[in-house]
Amino acid sequence: MRESQNPYILEMRNIFKSFGGVNALRDVSFQCRPGTVHALVGENGAGKSTLIKILAGALLPDSGEIIFKGQKHQSFSTRKALNSGISVIYQELALVSQMTVAENIFLGREPRKYFGIVDKKRLKIEAKKLLKQLGFEVDMDMEVGEMTVAYQQMVEIAKALSKNADLIIMDEPSAILAGHELDQLFLIIESLKKRGVTIIYISHRLEEVFRIANEVTILKDGQLVGTKPIKDLSRGELVKMMVGRTLEEVFPVSFNQLGNPVLQVEEISTKTILNQVSFNLREGEILGVAGMVGSGRTELARAIFGADPLTSGTIKIKGQDVVFKNPADAIRSKISLVPEDRKNHGLFTKLSILNNITLPILSKISRWGFTDKKKENEIVERERQIHSIDMTSGNQEVQYLSGGNQQKVVLSKSLQTIPEVIIMDEPTRGVDVGAKFEIYQLIRQLNKDGIAILMISSELPEILGLSDRILVMREGKIVAELTPNETNEEMIIEFATTNTQQSVP
Amino acid sequence: MKRSFFQKHAIILIVYALILVLVVIGAFNSEHFLTLRNLTNVMRQAAYLGTAALGEMMVILIAGIDLSVGSLVKLCVLVSAILMDGDPDNVWMAVSLTLGLGLSVGLIHAFLINELNMSPFVVTFASLFILKGISLSITTKPIGRASRDFLMLYSEKIAGIYVIIFFFIILILMMMFLLNKTIFGKHIYAIGGNLSVAQLSGISVKRVRYGVYSLCSVLAAATGLLWLMRMGVGDPVIGNGLELNVIIAVVIGGTSLFGGRGTVIGVLGGVLLLTFTDNLLVILGVSQFYSGLIKGLIFVAAVSLYKMENR
Ligand SMILES: Nc1ncnc2c1ncn2[C@@H]1O[C@H](COP(=O)(O)OP(=O)(O)OP(=O)(O)O)[C@@H](O)[C@H]1O
Ligand SMILES: [Mg+2]
Repeated sequence: MRESQNPYILEMRNIFKSFGGVNALRDVSFQCRPGTVHALVGENGAGKSTLIKILAGALLPDSGEIIFKGQKHQSFSTRKALNSGISVIYQELALVSQMTVAENIFLGREPRKYFGIVDKKRLKIEAKKLLKQLGFEVDMDMEVGEMTVAYQQMVEIAKALSKNADLIIMDEPSAILAGHELDQLFLIIESLKKRGVTIIYISHRLEEVFRIANEVTILKDGQLVGTKPIKDLSRGELVKMMVGRTLEEVFPVSFNQLGNPVLQVEEISTKTILNQVSFNLREGEILGVAGMVGSGRTELARAIFGADPLTSGTIKIKGQDVVFKNPADAIRSKISLVPEDRKNHGLFTKLSILNNITLPILSKISRWGFTDKKKENEIVERERQIHSIDMTSGNQEVQYLSGGNQQKVVLSKSLQTIPEVIIMDEPTRGVDVGAKFEIYQLIRQLNKDGIAILMISSELPEILGLSDRILVMREGKIVAELTPNETNEEMIIEFATTNTQQSVP
Repeated sequence: MKRSFFQKHAIILIVYALILVLVVIGAFNSEHFLTLRNLTNVMRQAAYLGTAALGEMMVILIAGIDLSVGSLVKLCVLVSAILMDGDPDNVWMAVSLTLGLGLSVGLIHAFLINELNMSPFVVTFASLFILKGISLSITTKPIGRASRDFLMLYSEKIAGIYVIIFFFIILILMMMFLLNKTIFGKHIYAIGGNLSVAQLSGISVKRVRYGVYSLCSVLAAATGLLWLMRMGVGDPVIGNGLELNVIIAVVIGGTSLFGGRGTVIGVLGGVLLLTFTDNLLVILGVSQFYSGLIKGLIFVAAVSLYKMENR
């Protein structure tokens, strides 16, 4: 009797989907067992997000069928998917920034009293309970737009949990989480699994996949490569299935030619959170900044870049005191920022790739106010090769690129102005393994030309593998300065979470 | 991280501070200004602009726009005057058919926007001309007649306040309730804040649009009825350029033209500010020709103040 029953909670059969000329998915089929974590991996643009958007009813497949809990569906609508017990954490966060935390969590499913009146009290209590479960205490009345992306991510997770779904899909939920938050996420996944909830987990961080997944499905160029139990695979094998070749995951070595300090930050404080932060950044150096969510890393980047005003302290560029009233001042002093939030701060998603990349240097490549189309095309082609951006042409709108490819465009854009200092906030957020190491090479290469880099990252392997020096932040202060070969992940997490303080020069 | 009360409500405070400035100027320049009579008059006038503005506000909150408000008011004045034709027995029929006309116009707007994917700007811009065209093809001279008791309502009072002001206060309370307490209201803010997120959250965007555009047009029709109450006849000059005044009031009140942000109290402030300005100009004996100029300046000043506070 049991034998004949369907062992899968979800089957997707022969899914096809194309956007104009792009075949995003070709004949993809896969199955999920109930109460397991099923990882979905593949390079940027492989079709992972497209597949789960179809499952969530956000996109219609060209053909194929979905069988969920024994019921066959030609396609879903978002409502239908929600009602039948599927909930999704989208890669590009799906929150309304003008609304509060609590309102966002229950958007579309507000607890009601009668006649469609919202039960505000219950709304807040329930939201608070959910976030507490996530080990997270925030003001329920805070507007989501005022929070950092990592906090927003936690709200997004709470939102997905609140739906009591049987299947939760997480599209790169961890891309900007680290340490404590990540552990919390994994604890939650474990407990969901115990309750019989099925999870589809998309991530480019393979160590996570090995840590939590039971099975893994690999996509490449819109096609299925295969589904395997995770214990049958080694990391190398998995990478090979994703990329199609073996990949040497080695960090480029430092050139070790540190010059004079270019950026000197002296005891700066802001209204946001920064409290007496000081450090030097030297020519040709990569200075890594580690820390938990809310430790003030993004705020540090914003303060240096002139986006938040200083309340005290000074910033020197090449020994000269500078005051940046706004980012334009900072750019003029040859500082460039790769922002954390690409959708709101980094890109014009409705403009083409070409327009995005060449925007910072338009005046340089145009004559009498006319842009030089040929030159622009050359630049885009060059950038496509350097960053291996998966795109149809330079005229494609950025909003239609996959998440990782959008990130590559952000990077490329901020490097156009040939800066002297680059501040990178989560530079490889959502970038696939192959491209990640290409970006590392590129970052190192920039060093060779004397460019100094301040790299904020939640990925400790990246911090350890690439930095010349590491700063650890906690509660708006720098609590440790470390050298990569004298430290390890545990030590960094220790500093980022506990109260011990090491002397800072 | 959290914004203080003052920061959060800065927009509204600015608007009401400006109103206060006008009141002070008025009080110093004319003994008639601060009389109860003048102030109730201003309130009554505010109800005209305000009724239409509250509808427009809903539309702007979902990042739409309704340019047809003025033309619809004009058509509704004519239609209601013709239907009533001075006969007290026709009042209910005329009122309900006029509101029904508003409802249908709103539904058509939403239909074109929802089902044919047309932009709100195009749909309601076309509607501005079509409705105006229909009105002027009906008549270019005053037409029809309000019944006597309908006309009397203009100067009648309930519990010591004019019926019209009473109606306006009820409308304000209803709108506040709708936007702050109901799910419909939350969905309005969500759609204006981020359309795709609203869709992904399973909100029926189309249904909300039908509701919002109908509400806006019904309130325009109601404004038409208020005008009939005041004029007694269907005068085809009513409603000229009204849509712009309405939009200005909504925006001065702190409603974002990109949607998702705005409050009833703010819009009320915008409406009062414009009405006081007009009243003050009359009292000071300034030519009406300057009215547009001054309103334009207030508009720019208000919006630039918001920009500064949002920096
Ligand atoms: N709305 C769209 N219009 C046109 N092309 C699209 C659209 N959405 C996705 N694509 C294309 O489909 C392909 C698959 O994209 P998808 O977002 O599914 O990739 P992904 O595997 O999630 O990548 P990443 O790891 O970078 O998030 C890409 O080539 C992308 O450019
Ligand atoms: Mg994706």
